[in-house]
Amino acid sequence: MPQSAMPILEISDLWVTFPAYRAEPVNALRGIDLDLAASEFLGLVGESGSGKTTLARAIMGLVPPPGVINRGRVLFGGRDLGRLADDERRAVLGRDLAMVIPNPRAELNPVIPVGRQIANVAYHHLGIGRAEADRVSLDMLRAVRIPDPERRFRAYPHELSGGMAQRVVIAIALVCSPKLVISDDATSGLDVTVQAQVLDLLKRMVVEKGASALFITRDIAITAHFCSRIAIIYAGEIVELAETPAFFRRPAHPYSIMLLAAFSHNPALRARWTRSPSNEEAALTHGCVFAPRCVRRQDRCLSEPPAPRRVGRGHLVRCHFPVEVAA
Amino acid sequence: MSTVARPRPDVSAAPQFPTSRRAWLRRVQFFGAMLRARPSFALGYTIVTIVAVIALVAPWVAPYEPLKADPSVYLRPPGGSHVMGTDGTGMDVFSRVLFAPRVDLAIAVVGTLVSVVIGGSIGALVGYYEGQRTWRRALSTSVMRSADVLQAFPVFVFAIALVAVFGQSVKTIILAIAFVNIPIYLRLMRSQVLSISRLRYVEAAYVAGASDLAILGRHVVPNSIAPLVAQLSINIGWAVLLTAGLSFVGAGVVAPTPEWGSMIAMGFQNVVTGQWWPSVFPGIALGITVFGFALVGASVEVLADPARRRVLSGSLR
Amino acid sequence: MLLLRYIARRLVYVIPQLFGIVLVSFFLVKLIPGDPAVMMLGPTASEDSLAQLRDKLGVTKPFWEQFAHYVGNVAQGELGSSWQTTRPVTEDLFQRFPATLELISFGLLLAVAIGFPLGIAAARLKRGPVRKFAEYYGLLAGAMPDFWLALVLIYVFYTQLEWIPAPLGRIDMAVAPPPLVTGSLVIDSLIARDAEALASSFGHLALPVLTLGVINAGPILKMTQSMVDRALSSPFIHYAEMCGLPRRVVLRQAVRAALPAIVTIVSVLYGFLVGGAVLVEIVFAWGGAGQYAVQGVLNADVNPVLGFVLFSAVLSLVIYLIVDLIYFALDPRTRS
Repeated sequence: MPQSAMPILEISDLWVTFPAYRAEPVNALRGIDLDLAASEFLGLVGESGSGKTTLARAIMGLVPPPGVINRGRVLFGGRDLGRLADDERRAVLGRDLAMVIPNPRAELNPVIPVGRQIANVAYHHLGIGRAEADRVSLDMLRAVRIPDPERRFRAYPHELSGGMAQRVVIAIALVCSPKLVISDDATSGLDVTVQAQVLDLLKRMVVEKGASALFITRDIAITAHFCSRIAIIYAGEIVELAETPAFFRRPAHPYSIMLLAAFSHNPALRARWTRSPSNEEAALTHGCVFAPRCVRRQDRCLSEPPAPRRVGRGHLVRCHFPVEVAA
Repeated sequence: MSTVARPRPDVSAAPQFPTSRRAWLRRVQFFGAMLRARPSFALGYTIVTIVAVIALVAPWVAPYEPLKADPSVYLRPPGGSHVMGTDGTGMDVFSRVLFAPRVDLAIAVVGTLVSVVIGGSIGALVGYYEGQRTWRRALSTSVMRSADVLQAFPVFVFAIALVAVFGQSVKTIILAIAFVNIPIYLRLMRSQVLSISRLRYVEAAYVAGASDLAILGRHVVPNSIAPLVAQLSINIGWAVLLTAGLSFVGAGVVAPTPEWGSMIAMGFQNVVTGQWWPSVFPGIALGITVFGFALVGASVEVLADPARRRVLSGSLR
Repeated sequence: MLLLRYIARRLVYVIPQLFGIVLVSFFLVKLIPGDPAVMMLGPTASEDSLAQLRDKLGVTKPFWEQFAHYVGNVAQGELGSSWQTTRPVTEDLFQRFPATLELISFGLLLAVAIGFPLGIAAARLKRGPVRKFAEYYGLLAGAMPDFWLALVLIYVFYTQLEWIPAPLGRIDMAVAPPPLVTGSLVIDSLIARDAEALASSFGHLALPVLTLGVINAGPILKMTQSMVDRALSSPFIHYAEMCGLPRRVVLRQAVRAALPAIVTIVSVLYGFLVGGAVLVEIVFAWGGAGQYAVQGVLNADVNPVLGFVLFSAVLSLVIYLIVDLIYFALDPRTRS
């Protein structure tokens, strides 16, 4: 395959398992299949506990012990980061593959000025001198539109507002012009107005650098603006994968519709698609993972796990009875 | 995504443990698994058990009377009927080493327990009232400043002074140990209570009309105890060291009573001239005992902290 | 300035604390049984001379009068005299405190040199012999009685190997001590370029410092290991790993984050050792301040005990203030 057509990210049949003491092991990810092409934006939407962060970690090769990749593999740029030696992986992370994290003031080093933190990444990855790294860092601070960048260079994380700290994190992620940027819930905890600004900034900079982006979020509405494709993840499985316009025109999986309904202001619509599982239903382990909460479920859903099926061009759904017409 | 249905892999490869319906039995099994996974903890529990047993059965196991001085065999090197040799007055070192835990452990355990009970109670009250109405808060603050003052004292000198004031006896040493440790448990309990009494269920109990004592006794204290229990074992070891140190300077147990520190003191001059055994053996026994208590304390620390317990259980099989 | 105001505020708290310390120790010491007049003049002294001496010592007056008298004296820098040494306590302490400080400073220095790197190594290597060794060392060092270790070291290095001179005091009696500059015989010998005094004082210092160093390395090791461990699992270290920073750099950042707690425990140990090194001082006949105070207690000699307690309390408070200042310097979050 020619270099330009090779996907930047290839995930095939990925299973990540966490052993538990004296209990069934927990499968955080079950059979994830996902490809990401160069310069593509993919949105990954799921609720808390759906496995989004585990997927991000697995891509980086940093599944926290005692978790293991039970089956399948993740290739970034053709390489399995989980199998690399520690030094080799460190050379890739932060440089070719960068992550934008939420809650930046907790995750930036509290005793190092922020400008220096950006410079550190540049210094260690780009083989440039300290002075040059400082200059690059200052440029990045300007690029992320932080006011008064010279002064803010010396500021400590706790002296910055949430939005500014998030911009610093974006600067750190993009300073080495990575090929893939993973944004893990990067705007949660920010005020709504700030959220919009930060997202715009992120998109602009990623496009400028020609990178791909994996946009992980709980908020499905965000993906409409930024992503060319959307994947919906539930309980460790990708339940729907489609190009954005097709998805919003004809969402096919009941869970996707439930997500969309939850964000609409129509309570009747919400009620129609939401269902709370009873205790026995929640404990079911055979069949479709979503069955306990599905308003359209039938007997077959409880006994047989659905295989992914095509409902349109590039549009896959893991459901026995996908929704045919927009509700 | 491929369009072929995939069977779920078989992840029932998890080992099957014998399960039991009784919660306490499960706890015991967890404890056993932990001991298997961490041999150092097992070592600690073994040491402590052995020392406790020795303290109990010493009269039946020791080959000689601990206080019987036979001048004709003084300063015999280890060997023969005197496994650890004899000291300067002809007493058998081994028997005295076996009898010493009775004194040392008794003093250390009682002293530490007293300080836990007193320090913990005061600390609980102080922590609980610190967030409340004025006069009680003033009382709390003054108690804490007094604890500061007490803790500013050089520990050893303070202990000796207490012994000097109240006379040299086992009771006094227990008192000295208790006194020196009370501020520690006071602070520990206070900081625990401070964080727990802010939690909602305490507030709920208060609103429901429960009395202060009831709230303390039923909600706050039981949930605050864990770090104190962890500290307890380490403290017992440290109290044994303090007792030995006091006896070493002559402010601890009265002279011929078998006690490790006192034995080390008695053999002091002999070491310089080359007869090492009257001092070295008691020291080894002392060190091993305190070491055992420290290991037990480390294991309790892990068990008491839910986060570390989770990490531990993740590594168990 | 913010810093000066903070120091001033702390010093304000110091006065009542000192007062409380003096009060409690005075009270305690007065309770110690033993008639100082009898002890000074001996059991054969006449009742008259005893009564006269008691009057002169002021022990017949009521408690509060005695206390007020003592506080008044202290405010003037007058700490009374020790009847054992027949010299003013201030003089005795000025002679003995440097001995104690030299001992515990070098001892703690050695303890840090042993415990700090071992703690970092143990935190870095999750498995393996180094971590096991460090864990056992940390526990064993805290379990060993210091006076016992001192005896063992004497036996090995003096009795058997004869590498060390006789464990009596700080310097050979036949060797003249160097002129007083810092109070530390070893340092002063270096300054005065007195090879003989240096060799002798160093030889005498070696074993007690080794004892204190080996034992106190334990808590330092444990604290270093646990703090660096905790730092290594903190969110910002996680993030540093995700940014692909090299392992050395990440470790350095973690150690830097753990530094305040480590510094705290070293300082707390320092304050503790002022009175806590007394057993080692006794074994080596060091002539230190702790030994002086213990003699005072055991012989109902009031003034040395009070003087020592006062000195070491002031020292502790100063140390705690320094610790807080170090926190200021190390952690920018405390500055705002």
